[in-house]
This record gives sequence, structure tokens and C-alpha cells, in this order.
Amino acid sequence: MISESRRRFMKSAGALVAGGAVVGCTADSGSEAIPDPESDVVAGSGPPNFPFRGNHQAGVTAPAASSGLVAGLDVRAASSEELADVLGTLGQSIEQLVSGEPYEDRDGGFPPLDTGILGTPPVGTGTSVVVGYGASLFDDRFGLAGQKPAELLEMPKFANDFLVQPERSHGDLSITISSDSGEATVHAFRQIMRETRGALVPRWMKEGFNQLVPEQTHGRAPARNLLGFKDGTSNLDTDDDETMAASVWVGPDDDQSQWTTGGTYQAVRVIRMMVEFWDRTRLNEQEGLIGRHRASGAPLGLDDETDEPVFEDLESHIARANPRSSGSEKNLILRRGFNYASGFDANDQLDQGLIFVSYQRSLEDGFIAVQRRLDGEALEEYVRPLGGGFFFVPPPPADGAALGEPLFS
Amino acid sequence: MGTKGGRRRLGARAAVVVAVLALLATACGGDDGVDVNSVEESDASSSASGSESGSASGSEADAAAEDDTATDEEGDVEEESGSASGISEEEVAQTTENPLIQDAVDGYRVYVQEQISDMQAETKVFADAVRDGDIEATKAAYPVSRRPWERIEPIAGLIEDIDGAVDAREDDFDGPEDPNFTGWHKIEWYTWDQGDLTEAGPFADQLEADLQTLADTAETLDLAPGVLTVGAQELIEEVAAPDGKLSGEEDRYSGTDLYDFKANVEGSEALVDLLAPVLEEADPELLTAVESSFDELNGQLEVFGSFEAGYVHYDEVTEDQRGELAATLGGLAESLSLLNGALGLE
Ligand code: HEM
Repeated sequence: MISESRRRFMKSAGALVAGGAVVGCTADSGSEAIPDPESDVVAGSGPPNFPFRGNHQAGVTAPAASSGLVAGLDVRAASSEELADVLGTLGQSIEQLVSGEPYEDRDGGFPPLDTGILGTPPVGTGTSVVVGYGASLFDDRFGLAGQKPAELLEMPKFANDFLVQPERSHGDLSITISSDSGEATVHAFRQIMRETRGALVPRWMKEGFNQLVPEQTHGRAPARNLLGFKDGTSNLDTDDDETMAASVWVGPDDDQSQWTTGGTYQAVRVIRMMVEFWDRTRLNEQEGLIGRHRASGAPLGLDDETDEPVFEDLESHIARANPRSSGSEKNLILRRGFNYASGFDANDQLDQGLIFVSYQRSLEDGFIAVQRRLDGEALEEYVRPLGGGFFFVPPPPADGAALGEPLFS
Repeated sequence: MGTKGGRRRLGARAAVVVAVLALLATACGGDDGVDVNSVEESDASSSASGSESGSASGSEADAAAEDDTATDEEGDVEEESGSASGISEEEVAQTTENPLIQDAVDGYRVYVQEQISDMQAETKVFADAVRDGDIEATKAAYPVSRRPWERIEPIAGLIEDIDGAVDAREDDFDGPEDPNFTGWHKIEWYTWDQGDLTEAGPFADQLEADLQTLADTAETLDLAPGVLTVGAQELIEEVAAPDGKLSGEEDRYSGTDLYDFKANVEGSEALVDLLAPVLEEADPELLTAVESSFDELNGQLEVFGSFEAGYVHYDEVTEDQRGELAATLGGLAESLSLLNGALGLE
């Protein structure tokens, strides 16, 4: 009974979505490893959205965006059939959204099918949506234990994690939205929540932003974080297929669950910064903690942001995060974070920080290895993780298939 | 919000659900042992006749429906904001040519009248207890007397000032002692918070007088079909609102929110029941969706009691359970928001 209503509802939501033009957003999933956003312009006059279908979820390798949102959600479904419905509806909802095609115009006796926030017809907004599966999706509810990606686990506690709470962590799914405006991000999340209402329940969410440099180039940070430092200087080159294959995409031999090939592991950490304390900290101390100069982003003692760091010891954040020692290249991760600012806490201290998001081929070799090296770093005094989660970002559904389909076959 | 508890419950029912799904896959109409009937069982005194009138008009309507095709419903649509919440004056002025819709409207008029007379009878019991200074009797009568009101709240929106007089909360005033703060919640405050009814008598008199005004005005109300479709949705929005039943804000002194909650659901269900014959024509899938959401919600509410056996104090409803209720309410509200358009109303 429960589920029937939801199922019906989802079906009608799905049908409505299908009524809009979904076809246009199917990227050619042929040979190209990484969908090229430029060639996949789907609609609208603003920057193109990122298609949902392709070899990989395009939001993973999309350039840094000025607005974003990450949410952990739980699924309410009473059977694997229902779960399949929910995921299918979610996929359709995302496809309609990123297609940039206008939502069907309904009679005025109905509520409109879209939020209207982006005007009619909606313009391109550089929107991408990444869906991830949490470890709990593979618990005993849906009989999916055998399909669990080999390395997926519930995010454990790390050294500085005493404020991390389950209610702002984990989830059956993660949804990560990036776009070029706060409105487009809000629109995207509301559309998705509405079309899956009653079946997907948000556990936690965090909205963020980036003040982007005018032109993003590999080797230079796209933005600064709220400690005032350039963030994203030393990051993976998303245009380099080999790098992506080596460090981000799960390969065909990585996992006996074949459906994981072309996916990636997502680590999310909502990390508060003690910004009042930071702003009272000597510049030399700040730069020593990070391992880079604040103004230029250059490694300590060097001039240019793109200079290779030379480490005297392995104390700074960047030296610990990437010691550039033999073997440490297998710990490289793709970072795609957002800044957040959420008012102030009960003690009148500002609640600001970083929504850290990283993608990696292996959780163990990627995020976990890096975080273990960071455990105990001096920067911990200035930051407190609050929540987050580990997720597996599956490859997008094949043409004609629904999101999640490979899980059930 | 965590949903662990919910998960386990859902999991336990999975087998049943699968079976039901299998049945429904072949016959979607099959599920309609809809719970307006169980509402009657648990509340013989008040809602039974309302629901009956619903199904009665339904069966007549079925016959009428045969030669009355969907074309009627499309025709008279003019551009309108489509705002799903708030019953506007245009909606009140709306008329319809579809006899099934007219049946529903007529049925609702009967329902409203019945609820109002129940409300007056049950409120008299309540007011007498207050005037007698009998705290225990007042406590027992309070949630009972509110049920008819909560069932027909869409009507209250059509009568000026009535809501503020009988159902306002202290937040709208300078605290609970403000003499302008009147109605059920004022007496609730005397009863539970103060434990003293010596000054409450005049407020009981006032409540009865205000409900008499409601009764008098309701007779002359022009009910448009939009009142029914939008009303069914609003009763559910009302439960889920941040200051509604789900948050426990409504009956904050007594913790009797679940009575109001259930009554809102019944009121919405009664409306859907009345609209069922026409919806069966226009969008049977939507009807099934709505009815099974009601089933789900009623199943969740059953855990906390019934009108007959009494409901638990709202404090006993855990965060997880509130999350589960919110999710069901959300799904239901999405479906109900389609009623108006599905019936071709403006
Ligand atoms: C609030 C917390 C954090 C702040 C303020 C922060 C800040 C920074 C800054 C300013 C840089 C230098 C610029 C750059 O290369 O991007 C950096 C680099 C880096 N951070 Fe963080 N970070 C934080 C948390 C983390 C976490 C949780 C991880 C992973 C576990 C991490 C991994 C890295 C890596 C891998 C680099 C690049 C190192 C290199 O290759 O030189 N950071 N971070």
C-alpha cells in the first residue's frame, strides 16, 4: 500500500518528465572518455549544462563552479522494485533538468511543473548533477549486498572528527549540484526533490559557492577558500584522460562488480573553519600551516603559484597531503569543493568553512590515505569537520536504460 | 533527519507490499478499501454520515458518468495564477457544468453542516466542563471538540476572522494572558499550563458564540468546486506546515496534536471521497495514488492510537517518526496538488 502510492506518484512524475524533451540531452556515449561540455551544449543561452548520460557522470570533471550544493538523502522504498523506480525517476528528473529544455506547460489549474526561478524557458546555467550511492544502500533492505562496490564503506571517524554527527553525515544517496548561480542550484535541487517527494528524504545538505577566477587553467587555483588561500592549485588535470583513468575512474579490473567500471568514489567532508581565530593568526604562521604564500599561492619560498614545492619537512598541509615521494602519486585525488557560510553558532562565532569534495578511483589509496597523513596536522587547530560521507558515483545509465538498472540485473 | 526506524518498518512490510503491488499491477482500481471507512469505525459520532454521503453521491454519479465524457472538464479553463494554496474569491465564484462535480459540492455542503453540528455539540460538552471548573472533564473534551473544526478548516478560510477568534495561538498576541487571545488554545493554556479554570469560563462562552457565528455564516456560503480540490490539499499542507501539527506547535500545552492531525487527514479524505467519482473519470491513476497515500498515512497514525483509544502525547512521537510522517505527507501533498487541474478546474 505504502509503496503503491509512491510508485504511482513516481510514475506520473516520470510520465510528466518524459513529456518534456528528454531526448535532446543524450550525449553520444561512443568512444570519448570524458564528455566535452562544449560539444554537448544542450540548450539555453547561458553556459551549457552537463549531460547526465555519457561514459562518466559529467559533473565529476566539470570545471569548478561558482555555486554548489551537496546533500545526503535516504531512500524510502519497501522493496528493490520500488528502489528501482525511485532511482529511475531520479535519473529522469536529472535528465529533464540538465536538458535545459522547458518543462511542459500545464493548464493554469495545475501547479506549474517547474519552479519558475530561471524564467521561461530556462536558460543554460552550467548545471551538473552528480549522484552517488552510499554504503547503506547496499544493506539488507534491497538485497543489494552482493553489488556493493568493493571499497565502499560508511565514512569512519578521523582524528579531528569529534564534532562529526551521524545526522549530518552519510545517506543512501548523495546529490551534488554545481551551477553558475545560486538560483540555478536551488532550482535544480527543488526540481529533484519535488519529483521524488516522499521517496527521497534529505538527511543533511550544505550549499556553497566559489568566487571563480575569470579563466580556469590547470595548475592555477580556480578560487580561494575562506582561509583566504588559493584552493585547487595542485589538482588533477581533468582534460587528461590518462590521469583521469589512473586516479579517478574505476577500471574494469578494479572490482568484481562490473557495473562500477567508469564510476568513481566520492568523499564529502563539511569542514568548519575557526575563522575568528584564523584572522587573528600571524601571516607567517598561516603560510607555514598551509605550505604556500597567501597572496600568490606559490609554495613557501618560491614566486609563482605553478612552481613545484620543495619541502624542508613534511609538516605543512600540502606536504602532508602530497609529499611527492615515491609511491605517493597513487594517492592523488580530484578536489571539487565549495566554500560555505551559514550564519553563526550559539556562541556568536561564525559558521564558515569548506565543503570538501573529492573524487578518486580508490577510497583507500585516495581520500583515506591522504586524510590519514593529514591526521594530526597543525591546521587541525583551525578546522573542525562536522559531517559528510563516502559515496560511489556510478557510471551514468546507458542509452535507453534507467539510472540504477545495472544494480538489479 | 534519520529514518532508521522507518526503514526497519518499511522493510518488515516489504513482503506484503510486493504482494499488493503484484495485485495492483493488473488491476489498479483494486486497492480501494480506502480508509474513510476505518475513519468511521474509530469515530462513529461524527464523520460517518459525511463519508456516507460521499459514497452515496459517488454511486449515483457512476451512472451519470457514463454519458458524461471528459470534454466538459477541459472547456472552461481561463488563465489564472494556478496558485495551489489559498482559496481565492474567484474560486468561490466558480461554477461547473459537470454534474459529478456538482454532486461533490452538494455532498460537501452536507458534510460541512454535519461537522458544524457535531462541533457545536462537542464544544458544548467542553464548555460545560470549563464552566464547571472540572479540569479532567475539560482535558477529555478538548481534543474531541476540535475534531470537526479541524476536518472542515478549508471552510474557516472563507469566513472572516473566525480562525483568529477560535483557533489562534498565543504567538499572535502579547503572550497567553493577553485578553484578546481567545478560543480553544486559550482554554488549553488555562487547563494544562495553569491547571486552573477559574478565569476560563468567559472564554468558553465566547467560543460557543463564535462557533454559532460560524454555523450561521456557513449556511449561506457559496461553495465552488475549487474549495474542494484546494481544500483537500490545504488540510494536508496545514499538517506539514512549520507551525502545524507535525512540529507539535498547534497544541503545545496539551500535546494533543495527533487528534488534530488525524482530523485534518479525515477532512481531506472526505473531500477526496466526494470527488472520487469524478476523479475516477478524469484521472484514475491519480485517485489510486492519493488513496494509497492516505492508507499509508493512516497506517502510520494508527501506531499512535485512535480517537476511541486516545492518542499518545505528541512528545512521544520521535524525530524519526516525524520524518516518516513528513515524507508521506509530502508525497500525498504532491498528488493532491494535481486534483484541481486533473478535474479541469481553474
Ligand atoms: C578546511 C579544510 C582544508 C583547507 C582549508 C585546505 C586548504 C588547502 C590549501 C590552501 C591547499 C593549497 C592549494 C592547493 O594546492 O589546492 C590545499 C591543498 C591540498 N589539500 Fe587541502 N584543505 C583542507 C582540507 C583538506 C582535506 C580534508 C584533504 C584530503 C583529505 C585535503 C587535501 C589536499 C590536497 C591533496 C592538496 C594538494 C596538495 C598538493 O598537491 O600540493 N585538504 N588545501
